[in-house]
Amino acid sequence: MSLSKTVKRELYEKLVLADRIDRMIYGRMMQGKLIGFYHPGEGGIAPGVAIGHHLTKDDIYTPHHRAHGIPGMLGKNVPVERYLAEHTGKETGCCKGRSSFHWSFPEYGIYMASGYIGFQFAPTVGWGWAAKRKGKGQIVWCSAGDGGYNQGRAHEAMLMAMNWKLPVVFCCENNGMAIHATVASMHPTEHISSLAKGYGMPAVIVDGQDVFAVAEVAKKAIRHVRAGKGPIFVETKTLRFREHDIGTPDLAGHMPRSEEELADLRRRDPVLVATERVLADGVLTQTQIDTIGEQADVRVAEIEQFADESTIARPSEQELMEAVYAP
Amino acid sequence: MPPEKNAENTRELAFIEALKEAYIEEMERDERVFMVGQDIQGGIFPHTVGLVDRFGPERIVDTPISESGMYGTAFGSAQEGFRPIVDFMFGGFTYVTWAECSVTTGQYYFLHGSQIPLPIVITLAVGTGQRLANDHSMGLHGSFFPQPGIKVAMPSTPYDAKGLMKAAIRDNNPVVIPWHMGLMMDRGPVPEEDYIVPLGGADVKRVGTDVTVLANSLQLKNTLEVAGKLADEISMEVIDPRSFEPFDMDALLRSLEKTNRLVIVDEDWERGSFAATISARVMEQAFDLLDAPVTLVTFPNMPIPGGYMEPYIAPNPDKIETAVRAVCR
Ligand SMILES: Cc1ncc(C[n+]2csc(CCOP(=O)(O)OP(=O)(O)O)c2C)c(N)n1
Ligand SMILES: [Mg+2]
Repeated sequence: MSLSKTVKRELYEKLVLADRIDRMIYGRMMQGKLIGFYHPGEGGIAPGVAIGHHLTKDDIYTPHHRAHGIPGMLGKNVPVERYLAEHTGKETGCCKGRSSFHWSFPEYGIYMASGYIGFQFAPTVGWGWAAKRKGKGQIVWCSAGDGGYNQGRAHEAMLMAMNWKLPVVFCCENNGMAIHATVASMHPTEHISSLAKGYGMPAVIVDGQDVFAVAEVAKKAIRHVRAGKGPIFVETKTLRFREHDIGTPDLAGHMPRSEEELADLRRRDPVLVATERVLADGVLTQTQIDTIGEQADVRVAEIEQFADESTIARPSEQELMEAVYAP
Repeated sequence: MPPEKNAENTRELAFIEALKEAYIEEMERDERVFMVGQDIQGGIFPHTVGLVDRFGPERIVDTPISESGMYGTAFGSAQEGFRPIVDFMFGGFTYVTWAECSVTTGQYYFLHGSQIPLPIVITLAVGTGQRLANDHSMGLHGSFFPQPGIKVAMPSTPYDAKGLMKAAIRDNNPVVIPWHMGLMMDRGPVPEEDYIVPLGGADVKRVGTDVTVLANSLQLKNTLEVAGKLADEISMEVIDPRSFEPFDMDALLRSLEKTNRLVIVDEDWERGSFAATISARVMEQAFDLLDAPVTLVTFPNMPIPGGYMEPYIAPNPDKIETAVRAVCR
C-alpha cells in the first residue's frame, strides 16, 4: 500500500514545519518566552506527523508528549498557533491561557494532555468503548513513549481493549530513553511491542525516522481497527537528539550521553532521511524543497505572531471560580 | 538537644544540599537505608545527584515509570527489614499509586495487629512557582495529613531539612517529607555534626504579641516578609509547624494565649486541609482565647492554573497582609 505523490509531499511539508516549530519553541524557552517547560522533539518528530495525517478529524488521538504533541497536531491539521498562545499564557490559547503546557482541541478529537505519564491509557478504554457503541467507524490512536508503557495502566488498557475488541491503535514511540533511563535498563525485551503478544494483539514495528514508512504502517493499522478487527500495536523506533527537557542534563543513567553518540544519532534525522527519499524518488526537486522550507518559515513566523500579539489571559478570580463547574 | 545553629562547625548549605547530607549520613550510619525512585541516579533534582557514585546502584535504585512497583519496592522491603527512602519526583505522582502509598501504608500496621512497622520515608518535590499547573504544583502534605498511621513534616530551612529528614529516616513509621521547589536553592546554616529535628516540634520564627500566624515552607518566607514590613504597626508572632502530624498544638495555644488572634497560611486548598483542621481544633480547644475568627489564606476551590494565573491564586505576601490586617482590625 504505497503512498501517493501528493501524500508524500504533504507529509514532507508537515515534517519540515514540525521541525522548524520545534526549533522555534526551543529558542523561545531559552529566551524565557515560553511558560513552563519544553521537551524538545528533535529526532523524534516523524511518527506524530505520519500518524496524525491519516486520522480523520473525528478520530480520537493522544499525540505523544515529545515536542509537546505538535507533530501529531500538525498531522491532524490542528491550528497550532492556539497551542503556542496557550504556552505563552494568552487569552487565545486552546485552554484560555490557564493551563501552561496542556493542549485541548476537542473539535479535532484531541481532548487533553496531562502531567501524568500514561494518563492516556485509562480514557483510551472509554474512548474506544464509546466509538464502538456509536458504530460510526471512529477509531482511537493512543500514542505513548517507551516510558509510558512502563505504567500499569498501559496493561489495563490493552487488556480491556482486547477483551472488548475496541477500535484502538496502541502506539509506542520508542526513542530508547525516558529522561535518563535507557530502555535497555528498564525493559526486559528488545521491543516494547512484544507486550502485545500476551494479549493476543497483532503488532508491527517500523522505522520511526522514516516518515513515509510510519505513514504506510499507520494507514494499515487504522484500516485494521476501523474494520472492527480489534486493537493493534504499532511500535515506532525513534530517537531523541536533545536533553529530556530544557534545563535537565542529557544523561544515560548517570553518565552524560557522548558527543559521538549524539552525532551518530543525528545522521538519522527524520528531515534528512525524508529529504533524501523525496529527491531520490522524484517526489520533489531541490527547488521545491527550498520553497517548502521558506513557506515553513513564513508559517512559523505567523504562529509566533499570533501568540505574541494575543492578550495575556488575566481573568479575575471570580471568573475562574465560575469556570470550575459546568453549568 | 539539637546543636546551636551558629555553632563553630556550621556551614551555609543550600536547602537541597542539606537534604542530600541527611541521606548520606543516614545511609552511612545504617546499611538498611536505601533510596528508590525514577532517574535518581542521574538526578532530576540535585538532592540525589552523585549518590550512586558513593553508594552504588543497589542502594540508589532507579525504576521504570511504574509508580506502584516503585513504591512497592519500598513497601515490601520495609516489611523485610529495610529502611527505604522513596523519591516520587513531583509530589502529584503519588496519586498514581495512592492506594499503596497512602491508604494501605497508613492502615497496615494497625489493621494487621501492630506487628511489623513500616519505616518508609516518602519524599516529594512540591509547590507552585513553576507555572506548570495542577499536576506538577500540588502540595500533597494536605492529602497525606488526614491518613491515620502516616506522619507528615515539611522543612522550611536548610537546618530543618537535614534535621527533619534524619528524624524521618530513623522513625519507625511512614513519614512523608514534601519539600518546596521554591526553597530548593535557599541557603542557611547547617551544623556538620549529627542532629535531628524531632517530628512534632513547632518553631517560633518571630516573637510577637498582636497576632499569631501559622505558616510553613515557602509561605513561611512570605509571612516573615510581611511581619517585617508591618513591624511598626502590627506585632506578628510567626510559627512554623514544621510537622503536621504529629502537630505541636501546645506551641500554638501558648502563642494564642498572648495574641488571641490566628491566621493560618497554607499552600493548599482550604477543604480538608491542615489549615482547616487546625482552625477547627482551635475553635474546640481554645474558643475563649480568640478575639477574632481564625482566618485562612489558602487556594480558592479550583485546580491550580498555570499561565499567568498561578501567582495570584497561590497565597502571597499581599494576601497574607490583608488577612493579618483584617484579623487585627
Ligand atoms: C506518572 C508520572 N511519573 C513520572 C513522570 C516524570 N516523567 C516525565 S516525562 C518522563 C519520561 C517519559 O519517557 P517516555 O514515555 O519514553 O517519553 P519520552 O520523553 O522519551 O518521549 C518521566 C519519567 C511523570 N510526568 N508522570
Ligand atoms: Mg522515551
